[in-house]
This record gives sequence, C-alpha cells and structure tokens, in this order.
Amino acid sequence: MAHHEHESQPDFGTGQKKLSVYTFGFIGCIVLTVFAFWVVLEGHFTKAQAFSLIYTAAIIQFIIQLVCFLRLNAQTEQGRTNILTFVFTGVILVTIILGSLWIMWNLNYFMMN
Amino acid sequence: MHAEAAMANEHHHHVNTDATDVFGFWLYIMTDCILFACLFATFIVLNTTGMGAPTLKGHLNLHDILIESLFLLASNFTFCLAVLNLNKKNLLRLQGWLFVSFLLGASFVYMEVTEFFHLAKEGFRWDLNGQVSSFFTLVGTHGFHVSIGLLWILLMIVQMPILKMNDVAKRRMTYLGLFWNFLDIVWIFVFTIVYLTGAI
Repeated sequence: MAHHEHESQPDFGTGQKKLSVYTFGFIGCIVLTVFAFWVVLEGHFTKAQAFSLIYTAAIIQFIIQLVCFLRLNAQTEQGRTNILTFVFTGVILVTIILGSLWIMWNLNYFMMN
Repeated sequence: MHAEAAMANEHHHHVNTDATDVFGFWLYIMTDCILFACLFATFIVLNTTGMGAPTLKGHLNLHDILIESLFLLASNFTFCLAVLNLNKKNLLRLQGWLFVSFLLGASFVYMEVTEFFHLAKEGFRWDLNGQVSSFFTLVGTHGFHVSIGLLWILLMIVQMPILKMNDVAKRRMTYLGLFWNFLDIVWIFVFTIVYLTGAI
C-alpha cells in the first residue's frame, strides 16, 4: 500500500486500482467460464465428474473475482471491516441455503417412509 | 448532499465520511446477497421436486448462455478500465469505456429477455408450476438488477462532465463498481447452479 497516494486516490478499503490485476482476473474468469461450459457441452464426463469440475471452477472464479475485482484485502482497517461483514453474510447465506435443503430433505424422508 | 458541502472544506474529514458512505453501500450489497441466497434456496428446493413438469434441459441453448456470460464478464472489465481513466482524469476515455460497458451489459439483458420469450413460446412458462416460477424469479431478479445498473451507467456518463471528476464522482463510481462486480459474481452462481447443473 503506497500511503502517499492515499490523498489523491481514496481507496475506501477496496484496494489500489491496477491494470495488471484486472487483466489477470479477466483472463482467469474467461478461462474458467469457458472451461465450465466445455465440460457440460463435451459430454464425455460422468455426472459426478462434471458436477465436481463445474463447482470447482465456480469456486475458483468466485475467489478470483473477490481478490482481483472486489479487491477484498486485510491491509487496511476498512478492508478488515469489509471482510468481517462479508464473512458474517456468508454465515447467514449458508444457514439459509443449507437449512432450507435440510428441512425439505427431512420432510421428504418422513413423508415417504 | 448537505453533509458533503459542510465537509468539503476539510479534505481529511471528507475522505473519512466518504469511506463511511462506501461502507454503507457495501452493507447494502451484503443484504442483497441474502436476497439472492433466498431465491437460490427456493430454486434448489423446488427444482428437485418437479413431477411430470417440463424441465429446463430440453429448452436450453448453452452456447447462448456462454456468450451472455462472456458479455457480462467483459462489461465488468471495461468498467474497471473506466475507473482507471477516472483516476487519470481522462474524461473522454472514461466516458468511452463506460459506454462500452453499457453496450456489453445491454447485450446481456437483450439476450436474456430473448431467451425468456423463447422459453415461454416453447411451453416453459412461468405460470406452470413452482419450479418454473422459481427459475424466472431468480434469473429475472438478476436481470432486473443488471438493468438498473445499466441505467446507472448512463447516468454516470452524463454526470462525469458536470461533476468534473471530483471526489463525489469517485465515490459514486466506487458504488457502481461494487454493484456491477457483485452482479457478475452472482451470475457465476446462476450459470453454474441453474444452467450448467440443469443441463447435465
């Protein structure tokens, strides 16, 4: 973090803007998106293989987007606060989605058995 | 706006209040995540319980979805180029890249709406059952967000010469950048969970 630049370019905890980082992120995302579609369109893979490949690609792309475009970082106080709220949102998100699936699976199980 | 005028004299204070404002917008983005989480949960729950209903698989054109995804990705990247030109105070290039972002985003929305009409014509209609409704609600809510973002980009193109690329302009571009990037991240999960999983 170059502190002398902070006056002219306030970063609001979103990191300094660099073309190289954006370009890397852009190329990485394109490769992963095309790969995920290729896996499904190709059709050579079994269901389980295809599932694990596309979800791995999605998670890697998610991380690239967070680091390269949203510029989540723990280098400034604001950046750390952003990460904290982000993690909290993640907890709620997982609760909502996994909780719903769990409840519905249970209902299904007890009605069918 | 009043608070900004009062703080404008003290640059240091100004940067601090700006940071608080951006944090507030970040919190809005986080609550929007929860909205999408609910829609995803609804979609996943309803998607596996369809009985005898038409499935998405038969009506999908994955090539179109891939092109759509690339449009949105490219739009995100050109927006970042616009932000870089804002920091360099290059007005024409800033407006140019913003306009390219707008065109790419508009192509995305156009393809999505065309696809919706195509699906409806083939009998995959939103009023058939909960499964189809949840599909249109999830993808439609994302598309609606993108449309609002497009309007916002147009407003920024007009605002830039008026604001003379000052700190207020920078703060607003930061908001829009967060919003636009957030929509791209949501789209990763839409195409993976809805389209690719639906097509396997």
